[in-house]
Amino acid sequence: MLDPYQLTLHTLTLRQLASAEQLAEITGQPVADVKAGLEKAVADGAVVAARGSYMIGPAGRELLDAAYPDAFAGLRATPAVAEAIEAFETGVNKRVLSLTTDWQTVEVDGARVPNDHADADYDAGILDRLGRTHEKTQKVLRPIADADPLVDRFLDRLGTALIRAEGGETDYVSGVRVDSFHTVWFQMHEHLLRVTGRERPE
Amino acid sequence: MNTATGYRWLVVPDDPAAEPSRELVGGKAWSLWRMRSLGLRVPPAFVVTTEACAAYFAVGALPDGLAAELEAGIRLLEAELGRTFGGAERPLLVSVRSGAAISMPGMMDTILNLGCNDIVEAALAAESGDPAFAAEVHRRFTGSYGRLVMGCTEELDDLPDTAAVLAAVAADDAGTVPSDPWAQLRAAVAAVFASSRSRRAIAYRKHYGIPDDLGTAVTVQAMVFGNLDDDSGTGVLFTRNPVDGTREPYGEYLPRGQGEDVVSGRVTPQPLTHLAGWNAAVHAELLAAAERLDTEGRDAQDIEFTVQHGELFLLQSRPAKRTARAAVRIAVALVDEGAITPADAVRRVTAEQVRALLRPEIAPGAADRAELLAHGVAASPGVATGLAVGTPEDAQHTPGAILVRRSTSPDDVQGMIAAAAVVTEQGGATSHAAVVSRALDTPCVVGCGAGTVDALLGRTVTVDATAGRVYTGEIATTAVDESEDDDLRRLCAWAEQQGAVTVAEPGAAAPEPVFDADKIPPEELREGPPDIPAGTRTVRGALFTTPDGVRAALDAGVEVIVAAHRLPVLLTAVAHREGTS
Repeated sequence: MLDPYQLTLHTLTLRQLASAEQLAEITGQPVADVKAGLEKAVADGAVVAARGSYMIGPAGRELLDAAYPDAFAGLRATPAVAEAIEAFETGVNKRVLSLTTDWQTVEVDGARVPNDHADADYDAGILDRLGRTHEKTQKVLRPIADADPLVDRFLDRLGTALIRAEGGETDYVSGVRVDSFHTVWFQMHEHLLRVTGRERPE
Repeated sequence: MNTATGYRWLVVPDDPAAEPSRELVGGKAWSLWRMRSLGLRVPPAFVVTTEACAAYFAVGALPDGLAAELEAGIRLLEAELGRTFGGAERPLLVSVRSGAAISMPGMMDTILNLGCNDIVEAALAAESGDPAFAAEVHRRFTGSYGRLVMGCTEELDDLPDTAAVLAAVAADDAGTVPSDPWAQLRAAVAAVFASSRSRRAIAYRKHYGIPDDLGTAVTVQAMVFGNLDDDSGTGVLFTRNPVDGTREPYGEYLPRGQGEDVVSGRVTPQPLTHLAGWNAAVHAELLAAAERLDTEGRDAQDIEFTVQHGELFLLQSRPAKRTARAAVRIAVALVDEGAITPADAVRRVTAEQVRALLRPEIAPGAADRAELLAHGVAASPGVATGLAVGTPEDAQHTPGAILVRRSTSPDDVQGMIAAAAVVTEQGGATSHAAVVSRALDTPCVVGCGAGTVDALLGRTVTVDATAGRVYTGEIATTAVDESEDDDLRRLCAWAEQQGAVTVAEPGAAAPEPVFDADKIPPEELREGPPDIPAGTRTVRGALFTTPDGVRAALDAGVEVIVAAHRLPVLLTAVAHREGTS
């Protein structure tokens, strides 16, 4: 596993230009620890700071690339983990992207047009399928989550986004500037790729 | 005990004069009653009430007397349609669905075709003369029963036949699907009850402070079939044209067709006029029903219907999907018809739809002699010209840049927010890049293939993301203006009357102090809208034409937003003021 300092750097690859609080939200680390790590990283030249937000620099990325093989050696050698990530890529990930697309656009006479969210049953149907996919994902990723507690945290945050969307906050399905289902999913996907050392397939 | 009907646990919503309580029967069954009370024919149904649900949780099983009442309810449907539940001839199949007074996620989906088994499949094959159809009904029922009632988590919908579905359910240790239709019905009703306390339903109620004991009703409705004989068929009808909004019925009819055939596009349907030629009475009845539903709904409706043995049944009516152009036309027409107020109309059209209408397009012929540099999948429409850059950092530091990437990761999101358009080598219309671009309303072309980054980098290019093409240099575009279009102009005037915010044209006088988002140095940009200085009365800059920017300006108490297009800003402001008031 990554040490706390490496984990803070790693989180910056999942969410660029973030504050210490925003990074702590992703990992569940104490904000003070994240701040201390970021200050050290800035001093080391691994991270760039701008008005309370942080960006990872080339040196930080090199540090991570060097750390991953050791940190995740156990996971990468486990066949159940390889099967889980394969099932994730070909199954639930495709499904989530296709459902978010159906959420954003609807088909009218063969063309995709913006979803005006006037048909509550249509939206409810998509949220329902998204909810089922969320439950399925919890099963699919179990072998990885057992070894990496961050995955369970992503799954919890996905559940939170889903509840807000179900409550009528339509931004929480695919909005970019909030921790929407897709925002968290995108972060989790990147995390899984880095953990398993796989290339982004798309 | 309901003394009028003699039922303890059931309501039969077939009396126009007796409006059932939503709390008792749920929203879905209430709508069924509403349709019946308008004189429209829907497949017969009965409802197991929320009181039965409460009793189910109190005793941990279906309450005493419910099994007998389910049988009595089914007998009513049998009598009305002349069919038999589990019968070897003219079998009756039913749908089973949940329904609470207020919508609640996490509850069980609809189970269709309940009551199917080997005997019923054979009977259905004989009656329709279509064994493949009967087998498909059985397969679909078994899949949804396995998933929804038995909790099988395997993908069952794509398996080839009933035997394969049964094997998958058994392999998942979920048990066996009963062949007794009555056992199916009792288990399905219990599963609907149980689903009102599923993990997701509980989490949702907890978050929104909805009482935990709010259960669900169960609607049991007869299935009707459009493929039983030459006097049967199925179709969809839009009360207004979904493409341009014209007020004339528009639809499709499939003789001897069954529900999914139309939706799936497996069979090419006939225009609605076919129905007029074949059965004028049914056609007239359908058009009258459509008119009624359009008026009642005060909106364009999308109506699903089936004709069974020459008898019309309405299956569903809901607000129709529509293009942005149709949304504007329909909203304005409804005001002219006196169905809705101008204030309603403003709430019927979204800012996103208007932005889609005002989106520039490549001028006719302008791209004919331009060099095509790349082409791929159009993932988010629009046109943009700019300098092609290869990293999110460059996109943030180059105003109006085109971000070109092999694929996108969360690392790229800040660059995508800053970029005028996004182009990728890999991925399809449902890639992360596509989803993020659509959420940002940024033009995006994906899947342009290897070598695209190298071909574009450092050049000024025009991205036509409506067609999925990238050209060298700047290409002329044309755009609709709000002032040139009657419907948009009227909508704009109505939106201004809502008084959510004032929109000033660039160059027009605006009250000081003014805050200009375009003058923020790039190194000071961060996620989300910038801090608007206290006391600011006017904001300007591209950021404040986006939904997030408009909302931030309103929250900061700004009076005037400077923007070239007024209507999208006004509509966002009206919606935001409503959401926060």
